[in-house]
Amino acid sequence: MVIMEKETEHPAPPFEPQKVAEPEPQEKAMITVSDVDFSYGAHQVLFDVNLEIPPRAVTAFIGPSGCGKTTLLRCFNRMNDLIDGAHVSAGRIELEGHDINAPDIDVVELRRRVGMVFQKSNPFPKSIYDNVAYGLRVLGATKKSRINEAVEKSLRAAALWGEVKDRLDSSAYGLSGGQQQRLCIARALAVEPEVILMDEPCSALDPIATAKVEELIYQLRENFTIVIVTHNMQQAGRCSNYTAFFYLGRLIEFGATSKIFSNPSERQTEDYITGRFG
Amino acid sequence: MKIRTRQRIAQTTSFWIFRLATYTILAAATYIFLDIGIKGSRTLFTAHAPFINVPFLTQRPQTLFVFDYQGTKYTLSDSEFRVWKAQHPEEVEATSVAYSAGGVWPCIVGTALLVIGSMIFALAVGICSAIYLSEYSQNSRFIRLIRIAILNLAGVPSIVFGLFGFGLFVIFLHWNVSLLAGWFTLGLMILPAIITASEESLRAVPNGLREGSLALGATKWQTIRKNVLPYALPGILTSSILGISRVAGETAPIMFTAAYALRDEMPWQVQHWTDFVFQGVMALPYHIYVVSSKIPQNEYTERMQYGAACILLLLVFVIALTSIVLREKARRRLSW
Amino acid sequence: MAVPLPVRRWHADSLIKAFFGSNALIAIVVLALITIFLFREGFGFFGKNLANIRLYRRAGLEYVDILRDSANSHAALSRSLNDIRKRAAATESADTLSRFDEFSTAFSDSAENLNGLVSDAGDKAVALRDALALLIGDVDHSGENSEQGAATPPIDEAGTIAALRANTATFATTAAALDRTIRDLLKTAPSFQDAITKRAFEYWTKKVDGYLASLPATTKKLQAWNPERPVPAYRAVTSFLFGRDWITASFWQDWYGIIPLFVGSFLVSIVALAIAVPFGVASAIYVSEVAQPAEKRFIKPYVEFIAAIPSVVLGFFGIAVVGQTIRHVSQSSFFHWVSFFPISERLNIFTAGSLLALMAVSTIFTLAEDALRNVPRGFVEASYALGANRLQTVGRVIVPASLSGIVSAILLGFGRVIGETMVVLLCAGNRIAIPDFTQGLGAFFQPVHTMTGIIAQEMGEVVRGSIHYRALFMVGLALFAITLATNYAAQKLVARYRMSIG
Repeated sequence: MVIMEKETEHPAPPFEPQKVAEPEPQEKAMITVSDVDFSYGAHQVLFDVNLEIPPRAVTAFIGPSGCGKTTLLRCFNRMNDLIDGAHVSAGRIELEGHDINAPDIDVVELRRRVGMVFQKSNPFPKSIYDNVAYGLRVLGATKKSRINEAVEKSLRAAALWGEVKDRLDSSAYGLSGGQQQRLCIARALAVEPEVILMDEPCSALDPIATAKVEELIYQLRENFTIVIVTHNMQQAGRCSNYTAFFYLGRLIEFGATSKIFSNPSERQTEDYITGRFG
Repeated sequence: MKIRTRQRIAQTTSFWIFRLATYTILAAATYIFLDIGIKGSRTLFTAHAPFINVPFLTQRPQTLFVFDYQGTKYTLSDSEFRVWKAQHPEEVEATSVAYSAGGVWPCIVGTALLVIGSMIFALAVGICSAIYLSEYSQNSRFIRLIRIAILNLAGVPSIVFGLFGFGLFVIFLHWNVSLLAGWFTLGLMILPAIITASEESLRAVPNGLREGSLALGATKWQTIRKNVLPYALPGILTSSILGISRVAGETAPIMFTAAYALRDEMPWQVQHWTDFVFQGVMALPYHIYVVSSKIPQNEYTERMQYGAACILLLLVFVIALTSIVLREKARRRLSW
Repeated sequence: MAVPLPVRRWHADSLIKAFFGSNALIAIVVLALITIFLFREGFGFFGKNLANIRLYRRAGLEYVDILRDSANSHAALSRSLNDIRKRAAATESADTLSRFDEFSTAFSDSAENLNGLVSDAGDKAVALRDALALLIGDVDHSGENSEQGAATPPIDEAGTIAALRANTATFATTAAALDRTIRDLLKTAPSFQDAITKRAFEYWTKKVDGYLASLPATTKKLQAWNPERPVPAYRAVTSFLFGRDWITASFWQDWYGIIPLFVGSFLVSIVALAIAVPFGVASAIYVSEVAQPAEKRFIKPYVEFIAAIPSVVLGFFGIAVVGQTIRHVSQSSFFHWVSFFPISERLNIFTAGSLLALMAVSTIFTLAEDALRNVPRGFVEASYALGANRLQTVGRVIVPASLSGIVSAILLGFGRVIGETMVVLLCAGNRIAIPDFTQGLGAFFQPVHTMTGIIAQEMGEVVRGSIHYRALFMVGLALFAITLATNYAAQKLVARYRMSIG
């Protein structure tokens, strides 16, 4: 396991993975969203969202296109900073109790702790090895043996090691779509984030590759807090513990997946899940 | 039906006129290439091995002496004429034609030096500037101002750059007529083109690479250095090659800033190494200007005039061709 | 778990951003520097030019120029007589011709006194001017005469001016005598057979009447002339912007008027665009709408090649080939009917313009082709769907939709042409004169000098800091302003065009 020098400076204890088979709702939330409004320029896309994302569990965001779920996801690691005029106009987003939009926050460190996997797999035009090692290197890791170790560990964790271990030096562009997406997951795992955000990670994959990625997500929740945006209701049902349903920029309902899918308390949620719209 | 026929005839006729116009342009250009190419190759190439006129490429320009001696007509370069005079003490009436003998070696060297220095300067500043515009800038009034400035700078005539370089570098900074002044003048002239080309290449790098890198906790600069610039650089360099051909062929900006009509020393023959950048040089385009305007057109001058013009044309074409070929290749390879 | 702490890398990143930002500023900085340095070197021109014009009046050169104008008009009339003589040679009898020769000799001799007057007065004025210039300390008004005044003779300014002004009376008597002589002479004028010659001669006679009538006015002008009358400061600017003479290093008086240079640049550009616009636009339409893909792949790089030809090579080609060819063509009997052929100078506006056309054509082609290609396919398909053929679609949909793009391409082509140096320096003939527009289209076959050419040609030879040097920087500034304006207009057009399409 790689421990960054940076981390030792932090007053808090280092990250210790705990084996938790089933989520415990009463545990303190990993990400807390309170009263968040979000706008692109003058166009408001999120209205008064309140949400607590539990640690070491998979939380799925579902809802029709344009309902703001991806926007909220990108708030968690402040990727929206890259878009001109996009801003949280009201409310707080906290990572373990600390406001991530506070002015003195190091956004780079935030992103290290909150990893992300994108809708369109975006491996770098480098070798497989360099893709996974990239995050470590930008964090200052130079020791070859340690990087090797971390690369192998991440690829194993992403269930890709067996498929690529003999061709680590070949280009990542030679992998299939599903492999590329798992490589991106491995890449995100390598820097040992606490949270992994996934923005429709399977939308461009065929069913077999999708199954593999879903299986992976299911395994990863043991060590990571995962937030996944998906259009695919079955996917949310299969691999998430909690589900949040968004509609027109508002959070309609949030709860355990089993409850949302079997017995939603809101009419709109039921309509969406049963396929009446969306 | 009749209307249709008339329309078809009109269409065919107009399209033939358009076609004719297009090929007229190409024909005019081809005529220029052929005229200079054929007449120039008489100077540049020889009928026997090594087939290339080595003296023309390796000697410096000299005065040509033409005279009759005992019924034979001699055309000798300055150095040959001296040797000849040493052997023949008699007085001869020789007509001298300036610049028409010897070769263009110092001009080639000077042009190469000017191109290298100015491109290094322009690429360094241009790429940095493009990085800011493509990676850091947000849509603000300030950025719009910069973009307007770049567009306008691109339209400034080269002679104005020459005047500016003369006023700033040669006079105000006391660099005199020097390589340094030429580098900056040419570099600034080509800068807008480099910035535009670099920004285009940077923007062609897909956004996913930036986001992917940032999401891993890389800083903005790490992202640019490791994950944007390396993929944009080939494109930047290929489009900058076209800039090289422009720098190599420009005369007006170096007329008062860097070029001498005739200089006996080669650029490396300097007393002290610091003098290197403060020396003026001979340059191919300026040499062509000198030999086509300061000496008459006749059978003796044609060799130097066409030779110099042909070699510059050749140089510029090789550069431009490389650029076009590389660009086509890059386009095929880089489909993200 | 840890709060994400602000760390130092953050500051490093903003430093890096600042570094790149400062690089991006360079475009603005360079534009500013260009303006500043052109002004810095050029601005002193107005002060010096004002001093130059004031001295011109104070030393009486202006007075002499009034006299000289009169003498010059007479000389011009003599020249017209010669022209008539040339035409008459073919049609008139030997007797008429010899009488006519007598007549014209008498006419040109009639101005002898006047010419003598001018040259005497001129000598006096120049001597005074040189002495005054030395006194004021401005020695660079004319490079050649400054050493002669080194002995510093005592200046009798008032005396010299008085002596000069005494010429007013002399002129009045000379003019009266001239008037009588010419009127007597006109009575002995020969008559011509040929109608055209006759008409020409009558026209000449009318001009002579006009000239004679102007003599008293000249006398009045001489009387009214006052060396003490102050020269208003704006003359320094107006004599530059609207001055019709660019005369430097003359023994008499230097003038720095940009008009002949501007007209030269402008005419060359007009010729270039007149050729380049039809060809460039037609070929852009051909390549974007008609040509086969294989043709396109070949034509576009070829035109890019044309753009890469160094201008000095084109200029050389103009000297070596084009100029000669144009003159040969103009001498051929096929073009006998063209009134201004054969042309006298091989390097002229047309030679330079036709070569610049080749440069402009590649600019116009590339940009116009871009504009045509960017017309939304929806427009085009809609037009086809309505049953229009390709020509109609091109003419009624594609070209109108891309018109502002094409116009801005033409503007940028103009900017490129008017700023081009080497071709005009080598091929425009470099005669500083406004072409004689009375020749109609023949004006386009006369040599001119241009704004770019004059800078390139004279910059290397002038004394740094002299008025001439500063005048060249002012020409550069004018050129800079013209190209900026052109460019700006082109950008505005493109912006509007984007908006209307998008």
